[in-house]
Formats: sequence, structure tokens, C-alpha cells
Amino acid sequence: MNKKIAITGIGVVAPSGIGRRQFWANVKAGRSFVKEITRFDASKYPSHIAGQIDDLDKYTHVSERLLKKIDVFSHMALIAAELAIQDAGIDIKKEDPNLLGIFLGNAIGGWLYAETELRDLYLEGREGVSPYMASAWFPAAPQGQVSIYYGIKGFSKTIVADRASSLMALGYAKKVLGKEKLNMILAGGMEAPVTPYALLCCNTYGGLSKDNKNPQTAYRPFDKKKNGFVIAEGAGIVVMENIQRAKSRNANISALISGYSTTCDAKDRINPDVGGKQLSRAIRQALADAEVNPEQIDYISLDGLALDDWDNSEVTAIKEVFGSRAKDIPVSCPKASFGNLLGASGALDLIITVMAMENSLVPPTINLDEPSPNGLNYIRNQAKEYKINKALIISRGRGGINAVLVVEKP
Amino acid sequence: MDTKSKIKDLLVDLLRVKPEQLKDDVSLQDSIGVDSTEMVEAVIALEKAFNTKLSPKEITKFCTINDIEQIVSSKSGK
Repeated sequence: MNKKIAITGIGVVAPSGIGRRQFWANVKAGRSFVKEITRFDASKYPSHIAGQIDDLDKYTHVSERLLKKIDVFSHMALIAAELAIQDAGIDIKKEDPNLLGIFLGNAIGGWLYAETELRDLYLEGREGVSPYMASAWFPAAPQGQVSIYYGIKGFSKTIVADRASSLMALGYAKKVLGKEKLNMILAGGMEAPVTPYALLCCNTYGGLSKDNKNPQTAYRPFDKKKNGFVIAEGAGIVVMENIQRAKSRNANISALISGYSTTCDAKDRINPDVGGKQLSRAIRQALADAEVNPEQIDYISLDGLALDDWDNSEVTAIKEVFGSRAKDIPVSCPKASFGNLLGASGALDLIITVMAMENSLVPPTINLDEPSPNGLNYIRNQAKEYKINKALIISRGRGGINAVLVVEKP
Repeated sequence: MDTKSKIKDLLVDLLRVKPEQLKDDVSLQDSIGVDSTEMVEAVIALEKAFNTKLSPKEITKFCTINDIEQIVSSKSGK
């Protein structure tokens, strides 16, 4: 039987703001936070704009002693986890640590730490490399750091599935909580690609917007003049628990995760199947998992990579599942305003969708002047009021990975 | 600067701990809860600072500041 899982706390660290209030205020207003990269001289990269977080240190509860051992992606995860736990009103010391879990997703690992140490390896030899390198760079490092920080000891996982990583982590967390073997899970993702080497790799991939002169309007998902996406850094983590437990401790239930599915296109190592067949199957399966009919969905959060094959196939899949209703359901891709957090993008999409439900307001896709492909009810450039009871979130990764989550109002 | 002060300064700077946390006659494990990776880093930094060869087997988390001073002094002939 399907078990719906409650979201009771939200922690967000994004270019648009740290903490749910500031983040939501900027997202709903459609304020762009995409800027020229200032962390290092990126001027020679074909794409040198990003959603960058400059004021991380202001919010941190992490000691300097720990900070020197971890990459910035773990730092962001620690802040997002703390914000989520505070938001949920949980005293984690009173919890049974064996019944707490962590499910986090990211695509690339901790490169700011890694590339600095690799440079030292070639300049100074073995002894120039920090011994923390081994535990700082790898994709599961944030899971380890968050578990140590809070003493979390239950079943946990790190998911690496390109840009779909964090939505998958949320989906797996839902499944695990449904089996009632854990009391609570911290789930979501983090990504820190604004580093010299990570940016180079993202540039080599070829999907980034090169409109460096106009950072705020560069990322244009579903627009006729789309020219690729813009990377961003940050983290999104939510507290998930069974509904009964949440109710018994009088928690504020923000939303329910009710359905999840994932499929593979099995077509190309980079690009999606242009027909969107497996994405539409993932949507159908997620709806079936949630025991929700397509007619009941009243908001869709789009993946929106701002590349023709990706946006076209996403729209094709939605039309295939929702038929004539596809033109009526409000859809948007709010990440255009702060950038694509790669493996952490799905977690932020979930957080935005939950806040859209709470506020009955669909946040806009900015820079969407002339829709292409046509045929969906794009909410563009300005937020619009809609009562949302059930919503769908789409997240996709290179190599044809499709992940879909269904969320509901409590 | 004497050897002991130099060791303390080095550890404070390297491990980002407070100077008052380091006690002359308390082990690094008991005073600052040092972990094994921090010890690797500390031994390498001490080697560089005192221009001598040290082994992670002789300088361990069970050493006090006094112990480290003694080992470093005997090795570097000070």
C-alpha cells in the first residue's frame, strides 16, 4: 500500500537566499541572482556566469576547525540540515539515533577542495596534499559530515544520478519511510559547481548559456531564444517523517510526498530521448504510486534545461500524459532566476513547490518571453495565484535519467 | 620563542583550536579530541617547522604537549 510521507521542515541555501523566507520572497518575485562569477577569474571560460553564494559564512554554525576539513558542498549541506531541523522544531538529541536517516543527492562531489589539493600535489609533492582531501571531495562526504554532526546512525544513502540526484534521494527517502523502519529522514541534496575545474567540465558538456553580457536573462527555459542553462550552487534539505508521528508531535506538516518513480531513456550517453517516452512513463508511474489521476494535478514544476532536445521532450511527455488538459495546468521553471543546481536542483524544485502550495501562488519562469514549444500554461515573468492541491515535479539527468515526484497538500 | 610555545602556536594555527584548550600535561585526545587525520597533519607540520624526521608512531594522540616537546627537542638536538 502507498504511504504518504510528511514534510515537516525546510532548509534552503541558494543564490536567492539562505532560509525559506528570504528564498521564497525572491523566487516568487522572479528576481534574478545570476551574475558574473567573482570567486575566481572565469573570464576566459565560454560561459562565466552562475548563481553564486557569497555570504555563506554569515549563517554558519560550523566551527573553523571543521570548515578546514570539508568542501563547500558539505558546508552548504550542514547549514541546510540545521535550518530544516530548526524549521521542523525537532530536538535531535531526544531522538533515537538508530532510527534517523540521511538521503542526499549530488552529481559532481566537492571540487573546490579537490582541485586545490591536486594543484598542491603537483607543485609540492605528496606532502603538500591535505590529509582531509580523502574525506572531503567524494560525493558521499556531506552524508558523513551531517551524520557525524547530529549523531545520525540509521539507514542512509547518497544518490549520484546527475541532475536527478536529489529528487531521487527524496523518492528513496519516501520509500524507506513507507516501510516504517526509520522515524525521520533528512533528505535533499547539495552541489557546488562554481569552481575552476567543475566550471570547465560543465563548459565542455556544451549545454551552458554563453550570454555572459546579460547574466540575468541568460537562462531562458522554454523560450524561443533559449541558449542553454546556467550553473548554480547551494543545498536543499527537508525533514521527512511518517504522518502519524508528525501529527503526534503536533508538527506543522508543510506537504506530503505521495508518489515517486524513475525510468531510463536508454538512448544516448548525454541527450534525452527526443520523444520523451520514458519521461512520460515515469510521470504515469509516479501518479500511480500516489494513487492520483492526471486530472487531479494542478501544478507541474519543470526541469527546463533550456536546450531544445530537453525542453521539447519534456513538453512532449507532459502532453502525452495530460492530453488536452496539458494546456490548462499551470507549469513553471523558477530555477531560471537563480540557476541550475545540477544534482541539488530537484530538492530546490520540491521546496519551491511546497511553498507554492502553502501560499497558493505559482512562482514564475523568468526570461520566458515567447514560449517554444507552445501548448502549456506557462506562468511566466510574474507569479500567479492558483490553489494547488496536488503537484508534480520533474527532474532529469544526462544519459536519459528521469525522476518524478508527486506532492500533495496535507 | 621556546620549543613548547612554537609547538602550541603551530597546533593552534593548524587545527584551529583555542590556545587555552592545549594543556602541557594533558594528551591531545583528552584536551582537544584530536582525530587521526589531524595527527597526520600535525606530524607533517612539526617535521617542517623543526626540520626533522618524525614518525606518526612516536607522536600520537596520546602525547601531551610536554611529550611532543621532548621528542622534538631530542630529534632536533635542541
